[in-house]
Amino acid sequence: MTENSTSSPPGTRWGLKTKVILSMLLVGLVPLVIGLGMAFWQGSQEIHEVSGESFEALATEAARKLDLLLAEEIAHTARIANDPMLIRELEHRRDGRGDAKKPNTTPSDLERRWMARDWTAIKSIMENPFSALLHEYFTGVHSAPGQLLPRVVRSSTKMLFLTDLQGTLVATMTEHPAFRHNEARWWREAFHKAVGRLYIEDVRFDDQVNAYVFTISLPVMDSLRYEVVGVLHRVIDAKDFFSPSTQVTRFGKTGHVMLIDSNGIVVSCPILPTGVPLSDPALIPLVTPQHPGWVQASSDGHGGQDTSVIGFAPLPETGRAANGSLGNGSWHTFVWQSSDELFAPIQHLFTGVSVFGAVAVVLLASLGYIAAGRIVTPVRQLQQAAQAIGRGELRTPIQINTGDELEDLADEFNRMNGQLKAAFAGLTDQVKLKTQEVQVLQQSTDQILDAVPTPILLIDAHDVVRYINQAARESFKVQEPMTGASLFTILPFDPAVQKRLQTEFHTNGNPSLIIDTIAHEAAPRDPLAPSVGHESAGPRAELHIASRIYQYQWFRLPARPGEEDSIGLVLRDTTDESRLQDQLVQAEKIGSLSVLTAGIGHELNNPLFGIIGLGEVIQDEQDLEHIKSCARDIVAHGRRMATIIRDFTGVTNREAFDKQVSAYLEQILDQALSTAQTTVEMKDIVIHKTYACNTPVLVFPDQLRQALVNLVTNAVQAMHGTGTLTLTTHVSDHIVTMTIADTGPGISKQHLTKIFDPFFTTKGQGEGSGLGLTVARRIIRKFGGDLRIESDEGRGTACIVTLPTNSPMSPEGGPWTADAADSEPQPSHSS
Amino acid sequence: MDSRRCGFRTATIAFFLVGLWIWIPFPSAKENLGLLGIAPEKVADYIYAVLEADRSIYTTQIVNRMQERGIVWAAEHWEQNNALPLPAQFLQHSGRLVAESGRGIRYRLIGLFPIYQRNAPATEFERKALIQLQRQPDRAVAGIVSSGKKQYFQAIYSDRAVSSACITCHNSHPLSPKQDFKLNDVMGGIAITIPLE
Repeated sequence: MTENSTSSPPGTRWGLKTKVILSMLLVGLVPLVIGLGMAFWQGSQEIHEVSGESFEALATEAARKLDLLLAEEIAHTARIANDPMLIRELEHRRDGRGDAKKPNTTPSDLERRWMARDWTAIKSIMENPFSALLHEYFTGVHSAPGQLLPRVVRSSTKMLFLTDLQGTLVATMTEHPAFRHNEARWWREAFHKAVGRLYIEDVRFDDQVNAYVFTISLPVMDSLRYEVVGVLHRVIDAKDFFSPSTQVTRFGKTGHVMLIDSNGIVVSCPILPTGVPLSDPALIPLVTPQHPGWVQASSDGHGGQDTSVIGFAPLPETGRAANGSLGNGSWHTFVWQSSDELFAPIQHLFTGVSVFGAVAVVLLASLGYIAAGRIVTPVRQLQQAAQAIGRGELRTPIQINTGDELEDLADEFNRMNGQLKAAFAGLTDQVKLKTQEVQVLQQSTDQILDAVPTPILLIDAHDVVRYINQAARESFKVQEPMTGASLFTILPFDPAVQKRLQTEFHTNGNPSLIIDTIAHEAAPRDPLAPSVGHESAGPRAELHIASRIYQYQWFRLPARPGEEDSIGLVLRDTTDESRLQDQLVQAEKIGSLSVLTAGIGHELNNPLFGIIGLGEVIQDEQDLEHIKSCARDIVAHGRRMATIIRDFTGVTNREAFDKQVSAYLEQILDQALSTAQTTVEMKDIVIHKTYACNTPVLVFPDQLRQALVNLVTNAVQAMHGTGTLTLTTHVSDHIVTMTIADTGPGISKQHLTKIFDPFFTTKGQGEGSGLGLTVARRIIRKFGGDLRIESDEGRGTACIVTLPTNSPMSPEGGPWTADAADSEPQPSHSS
Repeated sequence: MDSRRCGFRTATIAFFLVGLWIWIPFPSAKENLGLLGIAPEKVADYIYAVLEADRSIYTTQIVNRMQERGIVWAAEHWEQNNALPLPAQFLQHSGRLVAESGRGIRYRLIGLFPIYQRNAPATEFERKALIQLQRQPDRAVAGIVSSGKKQYFQAIYSDRAVSSACITCHNSHPLSPKQDFKLNDVMGGIAITIPLE
């Protein structure tokens, strides 16, 4: 575990705790908020519902009460209208007037005086018996016990008067009324074509009584109830009349009942004055239907714009009795309570909910903190324990006694720690063992490397020497602490060599390409040096270090993972070896020269001694014929010597500057056979020829003929005079293969490998120079062909010559002629 | 619906009025007949017959059938409740229309135990007539009555509980002073008043 994770930052440590607290808060708060919200909403709805319904009930009750109040008032008034005395008087007046259908429109004297407020006129009406009767009724004289007019009703009655069937005033309680009323609407409605009907006039402001009033007009029927004989009219102060009934119905601080007409005009209200319209006209249709109900309106009708719950109910009896005077509707009760007050329980609920919510949040946070502490502390303990386990430092077992999964986890940690300890102990032992093995290996490698007499250096990719063995240290005089030094400080080369080595080094230590080019340019070949076996192998890379010569070799060492491969350099001191080889070559050359000298001496000595002997004979000889014979012998010996010398040199001067010419191989072979017959005995030799017609080859014909003479001569000599010589040519694929086979004893295997060596010969002294095959092969190879010998010991030998054919015959070359060969000295002997 | 009902009502009333008008002597006939005239008892009888027939038709053919089929019911506050007028109200309202027509003839329902006091007997004559009708329902009570100087012929016919609607209403109405009416009981009377000029 790294240092970072060991000391975990406080953010991480508090993260879990914060998360747990937040989770608890969320888990607690979300349902809490939803629940409280639902409760609040439900509560609000229920308060609306309950308030609305109770307001509706209250409005209905108040409407019934006011209805009854009004009905009772009408009944009281009707009792007056049924008074027989009044009826009689009115019948009398009717009969006295004559035709009721032609009312007297001209104002009477009394009317004029009444209008003029003449005291006597007023007195005459107000103090007549009928006015007194009205008074008596009003004060309750004629009422049955328990049916007295209530005081408030009495006080609220502003006018009470009686007209006859022509609308003129008959009796009155007050002096306010006008004298003639037959044009008044209430009168006409109550008279109703002499049929008569109750008429209630809507609230209006009356100037005479200076108040908002409503009126009740009742027809007075005749004694048969046949027709109307008069109208009883009563003017009632609306506020005074209804207030006692509406005022008592108060609830809370603002809750009250009010009475409005169907136009929204206030008839009676504890708050609003009578006669004013409701503040919000939009409210009127909502609260004036013909049935009781409640509504949630956007204003309260009292000037407030809060959402209000309003209960309402019509006064049905009044509506019916009004006979259309109240518009199409009726009067309506209106029950209302201020929103602030009405919704106070909701506000309280909201406050309660908020307080409860806040308390719950605090409680949840506290609980969350405690719970988080209880959860996080063991977790942190476990974390530290895990870190300790990671470092391998946990000595004491983890002690967590929460009695839950965490405790189980701690137990698991302890068990894991034990297992890890055991596993680590085994691992440590193994590591120790392996380390020792590695050390031993390294030591032994070092010792092996040091024991190797060859300098070995290990170099990394940056030319820095990583290892240098004992031999190298000694060779290059390197002190012990050498690692880290560059290769070229240890081996000081000139810049060209450095560059070459670096190039090799960077081409993966493969020097072959570079070496090849260098080697080919240098060191011209020694003609005597054995080169056939070495040509393919090529020269070895060499370095000259402080007068010593080293062959070197690169080898690649696989690197450890993540490192570059290093290169090993092995140097081999070849100074002594080179010197030895030079000496050997020198010795071989000297040996060869002596063999050559001996051979030449031997070859030349015989004819030379012959010439000397013949010369001595000539000195003493007188016979000319004998002298001439001797001279011919001398010439023959001279020619033979010239042939021997020519054999040694191998080439003729003429051919050195001639061009190769196209010649037929079979012709050259025949000429070579003829030449050979001059030098060796071939009388008992059977010659088989199998030619593939004339095969053109591009050669120096003389040289090729010489080579073939050598081969034929060898074959004939091998058969010691008797046998079969088989000559064949065969062309295939631009290659002509010529075979010269004999039936001699063959060549033993031990000799077969050496037959092309110069001066190697199986013939006796003076019979062969040991150069014939060597020369022949050189000649054939010069023409692009090859020569090989196949021998079956005891059965014969075959010389197989291959040459490229020259298919298109060159016109100027022409066929080779024997004339050219005639100019040359005839070889007398072939090796 | 309302307009249809209103139309129906108007048609009914018109029908009744036409019926009534037929029985009223034409002015030309009056002139032709000279002093012959028709006795007011006869006139009242005719009117009563028409009234009875109209109300019977209304009660049995309209109210009862409508109620049986569950289409509409008859109720006291029929205007507010979208209902049919009760048979008694039918008679009362038609009487009001007749009165409003100004022809002088009036009729109304009266009873000794009225729900509304306005339907109580207005005069002693009426009261006695009702009492007498309790005993002899089949014999109408007639007489001359006066109001002031005016004289009227009045005939009062017994009125029975012709339909269950009648007794149901009277026996259950909170203002009804008598609540033990049975079907076909004499509940009151129809008072027909004819001015004598």
